[in-house]
Amino acid sequence: MPLLETRDVTVRFGGNTAVDGVSIGVEAGCVTGLIGPNGAGKTTLFNTVTGLQRPAAGRVLLDGADVTRLAPAGRARLGLARTFQRLELFLSLSVRDNVRVAGDILRATGRTVDVEKETDRVLARTGLEDIAHLEVSAIPTGRARVVEVARALMTAPRVLLLDEPASGQTERETEAFAALLTGLAAEGLAICLVEHDLPLVMRLCTTIHVLDYGRLIASGTPKEIRESPEVVAAYIGTEEIGTEEVRREEVA
Amino acid sequence: MNEQAPLLELTGVRAAYGPIQVLHGVDLRVHPGSVVALLGPNGGGKSTTMKVCAGLLPLTGGELRLAGRRVNGITAQDAARLGICSIPEGRGVFPNLTVRENLWAATGTGARLADLEEAAYTRFPILGERRHQLAGSLSGGQQQMLALSRALGTDPVILLLDELSMGLAPMIVTRMYETVAQLVAEGLSVLVAEQFARAVLPIADTAALMLHGRVVASGRPGDIEDQLSSSYLGG
Amino acid sequence: MTSFLTFTILGLVLGAVYAIAASGLVLTYTTSGIFNFAHGAQAMLGTFLYWQLTYGWGWPMWLSLVVVVGLAGPAMGALLHMLIMRGLRETADVTKIVVTVAIMLGMVYLSQWIWHPEEARVTEMFFGANAKIELGGVVVRVHELVCLVVAVAVAIGLRLLFTRTRAGVVMRGAVDDPDLLRLNGHDPDRIAMLSWAMGSTLAVLAGILVTPIGGGALEANQLTLLVIDAFAAAMFGRLRSIPRTFTGAMVLGMTATYVMAYFPTDWTWAGNLRVSLPMIILFVVLIVLPQDRLRVAAVRTRERYRPPTPRSAAVWGAALVAAVFLLALLLDDGSITTFALGMTFAIVALSLTLLTGYAGELNLAPLSFGAVATITGFHFGVTGSGLASRLTLWGVLLAVLVTAVVGGLVALPALRLRGLYLALATMAFGVFLSNMVLRDTTEHTLFGVTFSIFPNGTLIVPPLQVGPFDLRDPRTLLMTATVLFALIGVGLAALRASGYGRRLAAMKDSPAAAAMLGQNLVKLKFGVFMLSAAIAGLGGLLMASAGGSVSGDNFAIMSSLALVMLTVVGGIGYISGALFGGLVSGVGFTIMVGTFNDLATAHPSMESIYKTIGQLLVVATALIGMGVGKNPSGTVHDIVEGYRTLRGARALLAGAAAVEAVLYGLALTGVIGNWWFAILTACLVMALPVAGRMRAAAPVRRTPPELAGVAEPYSDELRERLDRELGLPARERMAKEASVHAVA
Ligand SMILES: Nc1ncnc2c1ncn2[C@@H]1O[C@H](COP(=O)(O)OP(=O)(O)OP(=O)(O)O)[C@@H](O)[C@H]1O
Ligand SMILES: Nc1ncnc2c1ncn2[C@@H]1O[C@H](COP(=O)(O)OP(=O)(O)OP(=O)(O)O)[C@@H](O)[C@H]1O
Ligand SMILES: [Mg+2]
Ligand SMILES: [Mg+2]
Repeated sequence: MPLLETRDVTVRFGGNTAVDGVSIGVEAGCVTGLIGPNGAGKTTLFNTVTGLQRPAAGRVLLDGADVTRLAPAGRARLGLARTFQRLELFLSLSVRDNVRVAGDILRATGRTVDVEKETDRVLARTGLEDIAHLEVSAIPTGRARVVEVARALMTAPRVLLLDEPASGQTERETEAFAALLTGLAAEGLAICLVEHDLPLVMRLCTTIHVLDYGRLIASGTPKEIRESPEVVAAYIGTEEIGTEEVRREEVA
Repeated sequence: MNEQAPLLELTGVRAAYGPIQVLHGVDLRVHPGSVVALLGPNGGGKSTTMKVCAGLLPLTGGELRLAGRRVNGITAQDAARLGICSIPEGRGVFPNLTVRENLWAATGTGARLADLEEAAYTRFPILGERRHQLAGSLSGGQQQMLALSRALGTDPVILLLDELSMGLAPMIVTRMYETVAQLVAEGLSVLVAEQFARAVLPIADTAALMLHGRVVASGRPGDIEDQLSSSYLGG
Repeated sequence: MTSFLTFTILGLVLGAVYAIAASGLVLTYTTSGIFNFAHGAQAMLGTFLYWQLTYGWGWPMWLSLVVVVGLAGPAMGALLHMLIMRGLRETADVTKIVVTVAIMLGMVYLSQWIWHPEEARVTEMFFGANAKIELGGVVVRVHELVCLVVAVAVAIGLRLLFTRTRAGVVMRGAVDDPDLLRLNGHDPDRIAMLSWAMGSTLAVLAGILVTPIGGGALEANQLTLLVIDAFAAAMFGRLRSIPRTFTGAMVLGMTATYVMAYFPTDWTWAGNLRVSLPMIILFVVLIVLPQDRLRVAAVRTRERYRPPTPRSAAVWGAALVAAVFLLALLLDDGSITTFALGMTFAIVALSLTLLTGYAGELNLAPLSFGAVATITGFHFGVTGSGLASRLTLWGVLLAVLVTAVVGGLVALPALRLRGLYLALATMAFGVFLSNMVLRDTTEHTLFGVTFSIFPNGTLIVPPLQVGPFDLRDPRTLLMTATVLFALIGVGLAALRASGYGRRLAAMKDSPAAAAMLGQNLVKLKFGVFMLSAAIAGLGGLLMASAGGSVSGDNFAIMSSLALVMLTVVGGIGYISGALFGGLVSGVGFTIMVGTFNDLATAHPSMESIYKTIGQLLVVATALIGMGVGKNPSGTVHDIVEGYRTLRGARALLAGAAAVEAVLYGLALTGVIGNWWFAILTACLVMALPVAGRMRAAAPVRRTPPELAGVAEPYSDELRERLDRELGLPARERMAKEASVHAVA
């Protein structure tokens, strides 16, 4: 059974349906990809799963328990963590304190953690030690993305949702980041990855879900996804199939 | 193509944010009808160069020439009216204006709203569907399309693009650069900054590599690409 | 029925004036992101000018109207933009609010200086009070019709401007991204200036129209506050929608009129209710109408605060207590009481350091929480009677507790609000309290007990006595207040450095991210609000008992605003900023004005000069507030930065300390007067950083960082040096800096 599951989740903004009856699962111990063109509803789905957005219909299950009505903080305490597409770092704190504060919050909710030690461990794990003392506003986007991941890891999550974590990273940073994700998944973490860097997604993920116009148009292994004509038309694009009209026909 | 006089020329350009100098003498030329790709790792000064060209950041040294005329200290609004169209890093849209109102604001350089709308909605039909939606609630890709639309209907002389592909789906990147290529075919000159060379190199005539606030190499895209990977590893 | 219609029309007219004022607020907010507290003061200045021209100098009414509405109004707005508002980009909400508050206070002082407040001034209705027409059996004055017509025209005009013209659309875009506007070929400065000019014109227009309706008497404070009533209307439209603002204004105007007309006249509180109605509506509207503007990517504002380590805070706290003790030896009893009063204000200001400086939440009415504590203390915490009456320790604890609970209750509905909205909610609470509770001098009977909340309009709060400690003695009072300030300050520094403090910072920077880490935001906000209210309560109660008696005016919203303003001027993220704000707002005015008035009495020939200097100083305080935009982290931050150059200059510091000791000795033995002591000390304090800079200016020649890699090739060594010089790494160095920095 998947650790995180959405069942027929639908989200509407005014007249637009941003997410349309999407059911996906995220398994523990592997990286699940969520891809789709811009505006497909990936971030909206993340927001719904984490409780920042109320769905019009559908349910969100975490380890079999219905969390659809739970507040974001409550879900976080059940082991859900995420990063943001548009960085949401704590700008007045240093890199280290950005990570440490997650431990502080954990401790305030009654868990016993050695915040200092755990912070050091996570910083070492994510390779942020060299910039730990810097202000977060002073570091490049690529590293800032990793700080968000480190912060999320501090909460000892079971499910980690990553919204375009590699955008703004240099190729070298992406390499290190991929290794980190693989390692985390191997330890049993369930990771859901939204990313436009296709080679990265194909390399890391065991299962990939594809959204388009809010609907799930395909799910499968990287190989299946790469070969699905629908996905190619809607997302990857080729020389021949590029224009809006053709795309529409294919999807419909 | 180098025999023509350059449309945009930077010689020894220096620029600073307050006391911190970021550009230490940038030399760069964009010839009419060509595409120059500005490549390089994080913090190399690509965005800063773009800002200088667009008139958002004053020069502290060197020369900025537009069509042979020295335009050091030009304001951004004058640069825009002279035909420099700059799509800044991040989303170049007004989040609290609707799609249509964004296009309306883009007519400050003298274009007509009707032309802009027509050009934008034909090229990106989704924008037509969402013309009354607030730009801030569009998805990242839709916002980028809207930003690029500004270049479509305003008939600029030179287009400055900063990290156009950031956060965009591969197909949309392809489509964006198709659009750019089409504009180039119509005679536009383009200066484009990208961290990742992959997307832009196919349409570029020239590539320049920026490191630590200077252009350290420029030439044919293929040659630069080789240097690029080695400089990433080194820097 | 006719009377109902008459009241309805009266309500509509009042609503019309609210609508004009509120549209001005909406205009400037949508185009600049600045909520203009000075809008009412602008209206007031314009109206006074109009009075001066028409009645003072006898110009024809139409000419004065053209000059005031057509020239002075726009000019005032344009000037405000050029001199002040332009500098407010990338500053935090609190800075923006405080600057406009400073402008408001400055304008009020200025008007009182030019137009002596005790002279009566009246403006008449357009076409005279007798020009009336009958509409369906109801008699309406022409002036009232003019108001209605103008309001409708303004609403329609602005609506069209914002949605149907490019200029209006561009104005709305300016607030989000001025640079992008430039890239589109527009000039954001010109656009902003235009919108400020228009906003200011609307303010002036509202002032001129409303004054005759309210009876015609011109009074600076009243007119300024009247526009504050229009805040509620502006909030109906969430500071954005003109039609909704217009509707809100009409609802507001009519409700106020009906309450006045139909509430039984023998309910004494009905009058108070009418006065506070706009604030009640403001509070309700804030809470009921959610929805926020879309966020532009989180921007780093220009404010910078360096939290001190608890240890250095403790050292500085001890130093403060010692300094105050020594200083008290120089002062007479009267001055010591004044000083102690200032210290109690500083304690109130500490509540702002916690709430705003650390947690990023705003409270514009800290003194109102002081009022709650004072009332509680007065009713339940006093033993004995007459001269022997004393405040008990239990009374103080109870008062603080009750204030914390009230703080929580106020915060509870407002917890979803942030920034400006929360600020306005607290302001609404403050004004409501002032109008309803602090004016409530009648007797009530509840459960058979007869009492009145604020008997006779003043409360006599006796000094505190704990065991042998009797705060009737001014010195004991001063030292107690100082020690309390230091203790709370050190406590706050420790709090800031703890996990709790980091959680507050996290909530301040990104509520969404904090929630996603499992932080219950409601609980955290609620807790910090209660704690802050408790501190304000303690300070307020001590303030009341230090002064002996307090009236409702002591807790007026204007005093609260001045306190907030001066705390921001000092640096709201610093403990020492609170000390500065408290001392200056608590006693600074008194001392300044008092000193110059004394001088004036002592030297009758120079009287007018001394009086003028005194008034100039008062206006200058407001000017300092306006300058905060230049330096949003506060003066304390500046001073600390100045002293950084002195790090390591042992000899210089020791020399300065010796000079100061000698000065103190001279003052103590009466060789030099206290004023000389103060002036020379101030000179010393200012001269030190200059000396430090001169000392540091003898440089070692090395490649400047920006030329690294150009004038000298990159090397590992160079890189390391660069890292060091660009000022970041090496943790032990950071720790050292922090300790030097820890004035706060
Ligand atoms: N607050 C909102 N109001 C109205 N529409 C919205 C809002 N948020 C998102 N949308 C719409 O919902 C759709 C899905 O947006 P979402 O941000 O989830 O896309 P995405 O898949 O994350 O795209 P990207 O890869 O560009 O980030 C878009 O069409 C967008 O315009
Ligand atoms: N507003 C600013 N204030 C101060 N320094 C800045 C500012 N913007 C950029 N910098 C600094 O200037 C240098 C060059 O930045 P720039 O944004 O031009 O680089 P870039 O090549 O565009 O990098 P990226 O690939 O990350 O966009 C960096 O070291 C950066 O820290
Ligand atoms: Mg997204
Ligand atoms: Mg850049």
